[in-house]
Amino acid sequence: MAVDTLTITVLVLIYLAATLIIGYLGYKKTKNTEDYLVAGRCSHPVIIALSYGATFISTSAIIGFGGQAANLGMSWLTVLNIGVGILLAFVLFGKKTREIGHRLSAVTFPDLMCKLYQSPLLQYIAGFIIVISMPLYTAAILIGGARFIEPTLGIDYTTSLILFAVITAIYVVFGGLIAVMYTDAFQGTIMLIGMTVLLALTIVAVGGFTAGTTALTNMADLVPKALADQGMAGWTVMPDLGSPIWFTVITTLVLGVGIGVLAQPQLVVRFMTAKDNKSLNRAVLVGGPFILMMTGVAFTVGALSNVYFYQTSGKIAIEAAGGNVDAIMPLFINQAMPEIFVVIFMLTLLSAAMSTLSALYHAMGTALICDLWGRGKECALSLKAHQAGIVIMMVLSTILALLMPISIIARATVMFMGLCACAFLPAFAIGVYAKAPSTKAALYSMVTGAVVWFVWTAFVHAAEAKPLGLCQALFGKVTLLGAPWTAVDPIVIALPISLIVMVVMQLQAGKAQPAAAAA
Amino acid sequence: MILGIPDPQILLGYGLAIGFTLACIVYGWLHWNEGDNNGS
Repeated sequence: MAVDTLTITVLVLIYLAATLIIGYLGYKKTKNTEDYLVAGRCSHPVIIALSYGATFISTSAIIGFGGQAANLGMSWLTVLNIGVGILLAFVLFGKKTREIGHRLSAVTFPDLMCKLYQSPLLQYIAGFIIVISMPLYTAAILIGGARFIEPTLGIDYTTSLILFAVITAIYVVFGGLIAVMYTDAFQGTIMLIGMTVLLALTIVAVGGFTAGTTALTNMADLVPKALADQGMAGWTVMPDLGSPIWFTVITTLVLGVGIGVLAQPQLVVRFMTAKDNKSLNRAVLVGGPFILMMTGVAFTVGALSNVYFYQTSGKIAIEAAGGNVDAIMPLFINQAMPEIFVVIFMLTLLSAAMSTLSALYHAMGTALICDLWGRGKECALSLKAHQAGIVIMMVLSTILALLMPISIIARATVMFMGLCACAFLPAFAIGVYAKAPSTKAALYSMVTGAVVWFVWTAFVHAAEAKPLGLCQALFGKVTLLGAPWTAVDPIVIALPISLIVMVVMQLQAGKAQPAAAAA
Repeated sequence: MILGIPDPQILLGYGLAIGFTLACIVYGWLHWNEGDNNGS
């Protein structure tokens, strides 16, 4: 169902004006560096929860996960998103991070690592990983946003991309993290409304939840042969145990995304913005339902879209979308939803993209200035320096978005999450809990995690190895190992290795300490 | 078959997702006033 461009343009302009006004309010409240970097350490619980959730859920989560569910069926993704991404993250890591962050006056994730381990080298390494890997993820968000703006507002792709990058950067540069979190909360609210309406209208469109899932179950014999051969048995059943699709669903969608969220620098910083642990306790109450309504709805609606397409066109979703997984959700919205909802959903997507993008700009810019260029220098604490850092990283990300092959950018979200988890999670987890965390253990764990992740990504995991082309160039074949390893996500290999290195070396350091003291 | 879904694993996935959401709500509610800066 087409919506006229004028209506959409007016509503998008109202949305952008509201976002910039809210960003301006954040700018007015920003008085010093602590405000700019950690929102003055006094954020409201609801703002923390919505900001964390809206930053976590990008456009690719809604469109991508929905498309994956339409293609591969319902799965467990939402379970870990809520259980690990919210409950475990806030209760187990959030409170400790906040307490230590306050006590040590940490202002960024690498700064926290440095102060936990009393090692500037760790700050450099963490900052370096962020500055190198985050622009790729940022480029993916930029491309997603530009692709949405181009047809919606009738602006050419390059102009859309640059406009999207600059408008988002304006409130991040001037308002810092307060502006980012305020606008996140506004955008998160729009996302919550959009996804709630989407779920309700989808259930109506397929004749009720049970009627829809029953119809979907009865469509099992329509699973494309190529997917059936790889272990898919229907949209309401798990893939065959140990099949290539099972490995993809479990290791990438469930574990990769579920665990990958735990050590993302831009999310960890949200914990340090809380005034006290009470704020984080209260944020959990909002965060859990928020994520359920994001990934839970995307997965359910994506799978049920098959029923709608089959009933209206005799095709399953992936066929109706011409084989493009990312086109399934937009096509479903356009065909199945009332005109007004098409506009609401467009604002939902724009909100999801801008909230993630603003957080990434802030995390990259502060990493460049606070953790790399100006580490330990007084000048690194100036607002102007951080503003310059954000602008530099925004420009770099935009150039990357314009130059990088789309086949690599399409894997950027999952690659970034995987790298963060493998490099940072063990050192971060032990660092906030151990009484005397070992710097050497953290260093080896971070480097090992990053290296093993890279090797598996570039030489084994087919989804990334193929577009990267490094294995092909060096060894003349797409991957070094065969099935099922080519479907096993790097996080499942690299994270345990990184964790083992961390734990073993931490235990050794613990034994060595009393011996040294006795001597 | 419950709610049109034949696979207990998928049903368990939905059950756990809703269960964790409820756990978040209950946790936030039970600890609503705990953990302020006065050390409570």
